Amino acid sequence: MPAEALVPTSAEEAARLYGDGEGVVVFAGGTILLPEISAGRLKPERALMLHKSGLDGISTDGGTIRIGAMTPVSALVGGPSELISRFAENVGDGEVRRSATVGGNLCATAGVGAQRGDLGAPLIALGARVRSTGKGGERTEPVEDFLAGDRSGRLVLEVELDAPSGKWGAETLRRRHAHSYAIANVAVASNGGGLRIGVSGVGPTAVRARAAEQSRNPDDVLRDVEPVDDAVASAEYRRKMLPVLLRRALDQLETA
Amino acid sequence: MKAVGARLPRYDGLGHVTGRTQFVDDVRVGRTLWVKALRSPHHHAAITSMETSKAEKLKGVHAIVTCADVPKNVYGHLEALGVPADEPLLADGEVRYKGQPIAAVAAESEEAARAAVEAIEISFEEREPLFDIRKALDGEAPQIHQWGNVYPHYGPYNHRRVRKGDIEWAFENADAIVEGVYRPQAIEQMPMETQVALAVPEASGRLTIYSCTQAMYFSMGVVAAHLQVPLNKLKFIGGTVGGGFGGKVDTAADTVCALLALKSRRPVKWRWTREEEFLASSTRAPWHIEIADAVTNDGWILGRRMLTLHDSGAYSRFSPYGVTKHAFHHTGAYTIPNLRFDGFVVYTNRVPTTAMRGFGVTSVSFAVETHLTRVAHAIGMDPWQLRLKNANRIGDTSGNGVAMKDPSTVPVTLAAAERVGVELPAEFRQMTPEPRSGDLLPEHLREQQRLNGEDS
Amino acid sequence: MKLTVNGIEQEIFSPPLTPLLHVLRDELDVTSPKAGCQQGGCGTCTVLIDGEPRRSCLTAVAAVDGSEITTLEGLGEPEQLSPVQAAFHERYAAQCGFCTPGMVVAATALIERKGGPVERDEVLEALGGHYCRCTGYVKIVDAVMAASRGQTGAREDEPETGEEAPVMIPGSPA
Repeated sequence: MPAEALVPTSAEEAARLYGDGEGVVVFAGGTILLPEISAGRLKPERALMLHKSGLDGISTDGGTIRIGAMTPVSALVGGPSELISRFAENVGDGEVRRSATVGGNLCATAGVGAQRGDLGAPLIALGARVRSTGKGGERTEPVEDFLAGDRSGRLVLEVELDAPSGKWGAETLRRRHAHSYAIANVAVASNGGGLRIGVSGVGPTAVRARAAEQSRNPDDVLRDVEPVDDAVASAEYRRKMLPVLLRRALDQLETA
Repeated sequence: MKAVGARLPRYDGLGHVTGRTQFVDDVRVGRTLWVKALRSPHHHAAITSMETSKAEKLKGVHAIVTCADVPKNVYGHLEALGVPADEPLLADGEVRYKGQPIAAVAAESEEAARAAVEAIEISFEEREPLFDIRKALDGEAPQIHQWGNVYPHYGPYNHRRVRKGDIEWAFENADAIVEGVYRPQAIEQMPMETQVALAVPEASGRLTIYSCTQAMYFSMGVVAAHLQVPLNKLKFIGGTVGGGFGGKVDTAADTVCALLALKSRRPVKWRWTREEEFLASSTRAPWHIEIADAVTNDGWILGRRMLTLHDSGAYSRFSPYGVTKHAFHHTGAYTIPNLRFDGFVVYTNRVPTTAMRGFGVTSVSFAVETHLTRVAHAIGMDPWQLRLKNANRIGDTSGNGVAMKDPSTVPVTLAAAERVGVELPAEFRQMTPEPRSGDLLPEHLREQQRLNGEDS
Repeated sequence: MKLTVNGIEQEIFSPPLTPLLHVLRDELDVTSPKAGCQQGGCGTCTVLIDGEPRRSCLTAVAAVDGSEITTLEGLGEPEQLSPVQAAFHERYAAQCGFCTPGMVVAATALIERKGGPVERDEVLEALGGHYCRCTGYVKIVDAVMAASRGQTGAREDEPETGEEAPVMIPGSPA
């Protein structure tokens, strides 16, 4: 058990208690951390528990959707974005989703033999931005930049995105089981003339496939994405399937 | 006949659906200590030193046991049947599989027990491990077991043999020889309830042991043997098992808890984690099975040569028995008059393997049935017809010389064909299990009634 | 901290990051939620937290301070079974019984949420994260459907399962 559990009752207090993140373990929904703690593999000295921080909830402000970091993944199923919903419903099962949070999904690292962070793909495709705090203070950045950075020093406060207005496509490859992690996720969205492609489930974080966005050639997805071997699938299989999934997702855009 | 055909309530159903059923982990005894084990981090290694004194001094730690605390450390599950023992309860001087228990701690909490396990000072000298049963007999293969890499105690042989008829004649007179290799893999039984035991020392000196074992009296004998106490010193409470599927026939938790309860004079409970259940508990064995069938173009199986390697893991446990069952079933549900079967129990540095739902039989049935279909395709015959033609009939003898009295192959196969809509010619539809006659009793099957050769 | 467990308010003394599962089992001696995997994978520790099914092994007790918790013990007594309990009992949906606590609790929440007969695919979705290693899924699904239709007690009314071929829980080992 940690020496100290910090339970902030507001977003401001959470940010203050987090500080630069040194020595603080952020405890959101607990679906990843609690088994590690109770099995003795993780022994945090200070745990920042966010359940009373008020960082949960989805709001629509003009054309902007704001999703608090502590919003349970279950709230995204059937939520404001159908594209996000399509990936949210693949996270665990309904009971796990009621505990798992959006912030946790964005900060999750690869598990033992499986990749996590399914939501990265649709959030990248929709051009979502992550507002976080930590060393150097608060900042807002594109989700792909947040994922590419050192997330361990950041406390996610919320995710914001423009209300989706364009067309989208979604493809997921996974075993047909509630507890099976994704083999590969591809999300595409077009807004105006632009195309954005997000890929998750094939490596430690979700990635934006910029080359394929430019060329619209599905094979180019592998220029930005380096699939890994894990217990769920081989890198080779993922490399073979990613262009197939992207082609199907792009086809959905055409026919939408 | 009040019960047959009637819907009778399960005797334990009300407890199950109301949460009142008391599984071992649900039994509450005051002052119970928790157990954690030091398990081998290596597949194969010598233990060069071990020191528990620091761990013993930690807060909340009440007892630590190692091999030195076990009155009879090496005891085999089949010792009562004359099969020698090879497995220590707690590792002594060496470890032969990753996850093998070396020492166990009883402490006030799981956390304190875990801390004590981490505080045990131990050093290893790693040795080359052996994982592939096909390489175990190579001269260069690491020797991992005191008996060599193969279990040697099948009477005068180092493997289970079946010899029936004249195998040379069968292969000389065959129209085709159909070969196949089958490798069913290890499976974790994965009961929902992980292995768990609670041992309570009574004032009288007896031990009450709550066990999740599938085999109460068996487990009782094992604990009594390791502890070298008479059975009347043990009171076993069991029968409520959260799934076993074979994985709870050789529970070690009972014995470890018994030792720690005696040493700490406190009730102790050991509940394995799911990780322990997956990584260190026994599994169904992986097998390597080679079959060669001597067949005629009209669909008779004249003879079968078969070689089986059974992956026993690091120790014997029930594997010799599993291979014997495997040998009994190596002709499947079919009559084959000429046989040569050799089945080896091979040691590797994997977790010891054990029973799982049809111990030794499911693996051989998988191989035999797959092979029969392969034979049918090789000679261009319908697989259903091939099976029916060679099906066991009354009076046929099995590989080990038992005459069939009531074989069910024919009616079961016909029923299966009907259920899946396979249409068979009238001569096959009209088959029965009755003794062979006419076209179904060719000369080579008359021969099989005269059982000759050995059967060890 | 405080929890109301099966209608009884309880003071909680475990540290804040203790899994609710351990609080229930070890502090309060409420033992129907089982430690099947302690990592959210098996579903036998599922309890209702303010009416919603969640894994108690994944839930830190501090995060549900003040909540109402319902476990299998709280749904009915042996003499007075809830509809789901009765259906599980009458239709042999509990074999070894170790997964039953989570199955019944999750099924009860599903029926409550739906407020009427539940269909097979809804049961599969709701119980998709629950393992039954005795592989009694068919009987479990039938029992939940029967309970949602009030088909308990008299055994004449077989569940109207709609289709003949048994459908397993997706990807189940069955």
